[in-house]
Formats: sequence, structure tokens, C-alpha cells
Amino acid sequence: MIDFLQNTIDGVMTGASYALLALGFTLIFGVMRRLNLSYGPSIMVGAYLGTLAHLHLAAGPLGVAAVTVAGAVLAGLYVERLCFAPMAAGAGIAAMVSSFAIWMQLEQAAILVLPRHTYPFPPLASATAWLGPFLLRLDQLIMLASALVLALGVQALLYGTRFGLALRAIIGNPTAAHLVGIDVRRATVLAFALASAVGGVAGFLVLASDAQVTPMFGMWATMKGLIAMMIGGLGSIPGALVGGLLLGVVEAQSQWYLGPQLRDLAAYVLLFACLVWRPGGLFGAAPVRDLARGRSL
Amino acid sequence: MDDYLVGVLSNIGVVSFVALSAYLLLLTGAISFGQQAFFAIGAYAAGVATALWGWPLAAALALGAAVSAAAAAAVGLPTLRLHGLYFAVATLAFAEMVRLLFELARYQVEIDGELVGPNGADGFRGIRYIFEHDLGPLQFLALIYGLLAAVLIGFMLMERSRLGVALRMVGEDEVLASLNGIAVARLKILAAGLAGALAGLGGGLYAHLTTYVEPRMFDVMLGVHSLAYGLIGGLGTAFGPLVGVLIDIGLLESIRPLAGYRMIVFGGLVALLLIARPRGLLDEAAVHWLQRAWRPRRRP
Repeated sequence: MIDFLQNTIDGVMTGASYALLALGFTLIFGVMRRLNLSYGPSIMVGAYLGTLAHLHLAAGPLGVAAVTVAGAVLAGLYVERLCFAPMAAGAGIAAMVSSFAIWMQLEQAAILVLPRHTYPFPPLASATAWLGPFLLRLDQLIMLASALVLALGVQALLYGTRFGLALRAIIGNPTAAHLVGIDVRRATVLAFALASAVGGVAGFLVLASDAQVTPMFGMWATMKGLIAMMIGGLGSIPGALVGGLLLGVVEAQSQWYLGPQLRDLAAYVLLFACLVWRPGGLFGAAPVRDLARGRSL
Repeated sequence: MDDYLVGVLSNIGVVSFVALSAYLLLLTGAISFGQQAFFAIGAYAAGVATALWGWPLAAALALGAAVSAAAAAAVGLPTLRLHGLYFAVATLAFAEMVRLLFELARYQVEIDGELVGPNGADGFRGIRYIFEHDLGPLQFLALIYGLLAAVLIGFMLMERSRLGVALRMVGEDEVLASLNGIAVARLKILAAGLAGALAGLGGGLYAHLTTYVEPRMFDVMLGVHSLAYGLIGGLGTAFGPLVGVLIDIGLLESIRPLAGYRMIVFGGLVALLLIARPRGLLDEAAVHWLQRAWRPRRRP
């Protein structure tokens, strides 16, 4: 029982990082109805810039965090400019494939700048504490708190501000939003930058708790964010949070009881089952037919 | 031809099968990130058939295609009502499940004092049919392209038939297609099965070409690449995905001197191409134009 609870705690902590990744992902998808495969790699570009700052300028955790987030936003805007802005309404698949091509580009660029397989990343806080029989890590608690705060923040932004209202209008119908005087292009770019910033925070926290960065991070972030987002429900902020935490807990439990080889398998079985039984995700509405169509991917 | 060129051409031919598989599904409007799973199933099934059971190559390739087709149709059923991104991610999840299962799967038999067969993450060594039967690289190349040509002829016949029209119609608008009396569900399962068979056939060829397969080769990267080939080359004709493969592997091989920068050049080129031509080089309009230019104009 203690094991089970400790696994659950560990899973919630790891799940917080998935939730953060899913939060940025779901924001982009919600507003644009398009899948940005370059999401993880652009976070990785930020992380590599952060590592550079750490190695050459001896930047501390806060400095590295700032550089990582700024780099992720810049890379994200580059992706938006090249893969999403110039694409016509019907070219969702082309935009997705284009973001995949840019993924290759960003990954290669990162490897060119820092060619070794692993680089140190400044740890945030490696202190641990015992709460009764349970072991807690401070940096993971920070991660969980950040996930909750950012999810609440994004939710408040969407439902409590004029900018959020504009975004929800665009989500509902871009043409109608344009007709009532919303600058769709500007709001979309801002939402993209915001999502990239959330991704940058997620990337920084994950890498700081791993204390290292590898070129595999881009793919890892895209996959984990995508899985968590799909489990929770496309475009849903609470869904991203719950999907991420659920994924983390399922992974932690299956790793403990079934072994590391079956951990990833369990995650994909969960995803496949969720999609088949509840395609809209746990929190999403049933997929609206025309929104879920390939054309408006 | 030198061995290097034969190797590159063989690779292009084999990868074309997965690209065509993803293309066939794209015609019906389904975006699949998971065709690499059927490529893997075909590779393992055909490899086991020749290396462990001593089957002839033709029968083994047929088995690979058949098993993959059955698996694809079986996945097609539960994912029938999924569209767009939901379908894409469901196929992705399935493909990763298959890859991870192959990492666990062990089925080894001792042949001539050596263990042969799938050995989990260590892969499946010793698929030596083409050496044991004195098939040269050139002969195997001819086999790959012979099968590819047959598949392309099949595609061309299909595109002109009612089936081809029905498939594209389902891709354009499922509701409209069903209102026109097309059995959408049956057609989608059929397309999924055929696409699985194509990928499985390619996988069987791949296993015998490289004599060695391991689960890692069949990861998401292969799946997204095969989807991208159709979009780069064009969705107007079955030659589109081939052009995509040719551009990718051919161009990457030819800009080898730029080694460190080639993905930067290539990624940028693809992104720019897709801005100019969102349905690829050989899109429907280009194909129509080519057909008009090809056929002698009739007098009015």
C-alpha cells in the first residue's frame, strides 16, 4: 500500500511535467486547430540556449530559465511564421508536415551548436523531504505547483480577460471573429507565443530535475505532450492537467508493478483505449465532426 | 552499377511501399502516423517464414502482406469513427504498441548451431535468404522494382475505376459519399487493409534486403516520414509519394558533403515547398495539366 501511494505521488510529480507540456500543446491546437509537431523541438532550442548560457556565461537557474523560455518563444514564432501563418484554411495536413520538416531543422541546428550527447543542465533544487513514510523532492513540488498555477492562469486568461474572449471567439469561428473586429492574426501569434512560453517553463523544469539535456528531448516533449493532451481532451485546459497527471500515475504504477519495458506500452494502451472509447478525451466534448476532420486538422 | 547506387536505389524502392501505404489512406482522408507498424509486421513475418520455417521468398512475402493486411483491417474497425488528429494519434499509439511488443517478443530456433529469430530489443538477425539462394543485389533490386511497378499499375487502374473515385469521394466528404450510396465503412476498412498489405510487402522486402531488423527501425520517425512523402511529392497521383521518397533520400544522399547542414537545408526546402504547393508537387491540378498535355488534343 505504501508502495502504491509512493508510486502515485511520483506519478503525480512526473505527470505535472506532462501536464505543463500538454497545456501549451492544447492552447496551440485549441486556437489554430492545427498540430504543431515542432512544439517539443522548439522547447529544446530554448533549452539548448539555456545550456549555452549556463556553460559560457555561468548563468544560474533563474537566468537559464529566462533564456530557455525566451528561446522557446523565439523558436515557436519561427515555426508559426514558416509553417502556420502562410498556410490556407484547408491546408492543415500540409502545415503539420511542414512543422515536422522544421522539427528536423531545429534538431540539427541544436546538435550543430552542442554536438555531444548530453550536456549538464543547472538543477533547480535537489532537496528532498520525508512526509511520513513518503519521499518528496522539492523540484518536483515546484513542478506540480507551476503546473497548477499555469493551468489556472491560462484558464483565467481565457475566461476573464478581453484577450481570452477574443481567443475564444477565434476558437468558435475565425471568420466571425474577424468580422467583429478582432485582429485574428495578432491574437493567434500571441497565443502561439504564450503556448511556447508555457512549453519553455515545462522544458526548464523537466530538464532541471533531470540535471541534463540530450537531443532526444524534442521528440520526448512532443510525444508526452501529445499523449497527455489527447487523453485529457483536445483544447481543454483542465483536460491537459488531468490527462498529464493520469499519464504520469499510470506510467509510475506500471513501471513499479510491470517493469520499465511495459511502462511505455501501458501509456500507449491507455491512449489507444481513451481514443477508441472516448475520442473527445476525458474533458473534451465529443469531437465536433467538421472540427475533427482531416481538413481542419 | 556500383554497390552503393544499388543500395540507395533498393532503399528508395522499399521505402516507397510505406509511402504508398500512407498515400492510399490519405486518399480516403485518413492521416496515419502508424503505417510503420505494418511495415514491421511484414518484415518480421516474412523474415520468420524464410529464416525459421524455410519458406520460399514469394510465399514469405505473401505471408507478410497478408498478416499486415489482417492487422490493419483489425485496427481499422475500432478506429472507424475517428477522424483527423484523433485517427492519426490512435494509429500512432497502435504503432508504438506494436514496436514495444516486438521489443519483448522472443522466438528463436537453433539453425546450424546458431540461434536465429526475433530476439526482443536485440533485433532479428540472419535473414539470409538472398545469400543462401544466390540472389545478387541487382536481382533483388529488379524484384523490388518489379513489385513496385505492379503496385503502381494497380494504383493507376484503381484511380480510373469506380473504386478510385469512391475512395477520393470518401476523402473529400464522408457524409456526401454515403448519401451517394457509397458503403463508407466497408470502403475505409478495405483501404486500411490494402494499405496494410502494401506496407507489409515493403517490410518483407526490407527484411530480406538488410538481412537484419530491430524494433527501433520502426519508430514514429518512419511513420511521419512516409506520410510526409505523399505531401511533398503530391496527392494527385501514386507517383507523388515516389517523387517524395526520391527527393528525400536522393537529395539527402546528394548533399552529403554538407553533412552537418543537410537537415537544415532539407527541412527549410520542404517547408517552403509546402507553402507554395500545400498538396505537393504533383497535386491534382498538376496531374490534370500533365494528362491534358500528354493526350493529343481532339478537334472541337
